[in-house]
Amino acid sequence: MQLLSTTNAGEQRNLVERIRQGDASAETELVREFSQRIFVMSVVRTRDRELARELVQDTLMAVIGALRKGQLQEPDKLAAFVHGTARNLINNQLRRDRQKPPLEPLTEDVACSGAVEQLEAAERVRLVHQALDRLAEEDRKILWMTLAEGHKPGEIAAALGLTPEVVRTRKLRATRKVSDLIRKKM
Amino acid sequence: MNCKEVEEGEILEAYLLDRLSEAERDAFEQHYFACEACLAQLQTSLTMQEELRSQPSARTHAGSVFFRQVWLWAPALAATVVLAVGLWRYSARQHPALQVSSAPPATSPHVSVQATPPSPPAASLEDLARVQPPPYNAVVLRGAEDEAQTTFHTAMQSYSKGDYARAIPGLRAAMKASPRTAKFTFYLGASYLLTGQNDAAIAALSKTIAFNDPLYSELAHYYLAKAYLGKKEVPAAEQELRSVVRLHGSRETEAEEILRQLPR
Repeated sequence: MQLLSTTNAGEQRNLVERIRQGDASAETELVREFSQRIFVMSVVRTRDRELARELVQDTLMAVIGALRKGQLQEPDKLAAFVHGTARNLINNQLRRDRQKPPLEPLTEDVACSGAVEQLEAAERVRLVHQALDRLAEEDRKILWMTLAEGHKPGEIAAALGLTPEVVRTRKLRATRKVSDLIRKKM
Repeated sequence: MNCKEVEEGEILEAYLLDRLSEAERDAFEQHYFACEACLAQLQTSLTMQEELRSQPSARTHAGSVFFRQVWLWAPALAATVVLAVGLWRYSARQHPALQVSSAPPATSPHVSVQATPPSPPAASLEDLARVQPPPYNAVVLRGAEDEAQTTFHTAMQSYSKGDYARAIPGLRAAMKASPRTAKFTFYLGASYLLTGQNDAAIAALSKTIAFNDPLYSELAHYYLAKAYLGKKEVPAAEQELRSVVRLHGSRETEAEEILRQLPR
């Protein structure tokens, strides 16, 4: 299915209007468009995939609820509205004083789209694993020290006897190799 | 924010490592909410980060850091050993009765000596699932504690007395107040396990593992294996025990021993 271009204000406005008029397929489009974005944001902010899945559901239901009632003042800023809603729910969750908006059960389409995304995520994990295995040992070490341990290029350079510039270049090259494989296979 | 700024400012990496200011984080999130390319790159990098954090090479490096630290302490350690040996020799000269004979003890005529060690008796799953409570040492920090910490410490007073059932409500409350604290979920999982609530233990310990907190990861895998053994789910227990072995921590030997005794 062709995804909505969230950069296109006209498409966003159109989607908002269709949801307000009760078009169920428009709700499914919205879910497909934003669920991965909200999920990634929630995982990064909470580091808890289970919780992130709950936050995706909560955010989407809050957004759909608001759109059904025509509460979005600027329909061409749908992406910003979804982001703001997600941010508030995540922050509330982290503060443990979340006040959930009244939620309605997910439609079957919405629930199914989650299953597809989980399959995609599993495939991405498999491909990343494969791509990391193909990297040179030192490149993998640079990525590991950067992303897993949080070291900066200068620190990695000192540990591996390289210059920070070489570390940056190799890190970028290794990241691109992994991304290219994912892009080709998915 | 645009794609060029994201790449040049290493924004994506800083985002994953929680190094952005609140305003920068919001700006980047708003960008990838509208940018397919940056979203795809972020998904890949997040997956890569999680994969790398779970790879054994990480442990090797952690080990090397540990050994570097050991070398820093080596001179002090050596001095302590020399001092201890000197004191022992001095003490032995002063109190000959305390000396330990270096000669082998006479073999008792009633004890037969076997050429090979006996193989250990086969352990049942119940034996393998048996669990000792993970130790808890209360660390008192200066400064005011938050509500979650206070609740946790109160609950752990019951835990320390062996009253795990009574500890559970307090640990649940602490976890609710601070859901991202591995210590809370770990001891909650342990308390469930020690009160025979294996399913709840599995949920709490799995959550602990997901936090990737190095202080609790190995223990969580170990006690999760015990919970699976309690449910007679041998393959799942085996997987957790192998994770313990890969971490090369304090439970490695125990995990290897249990793996050897698992029914095939």
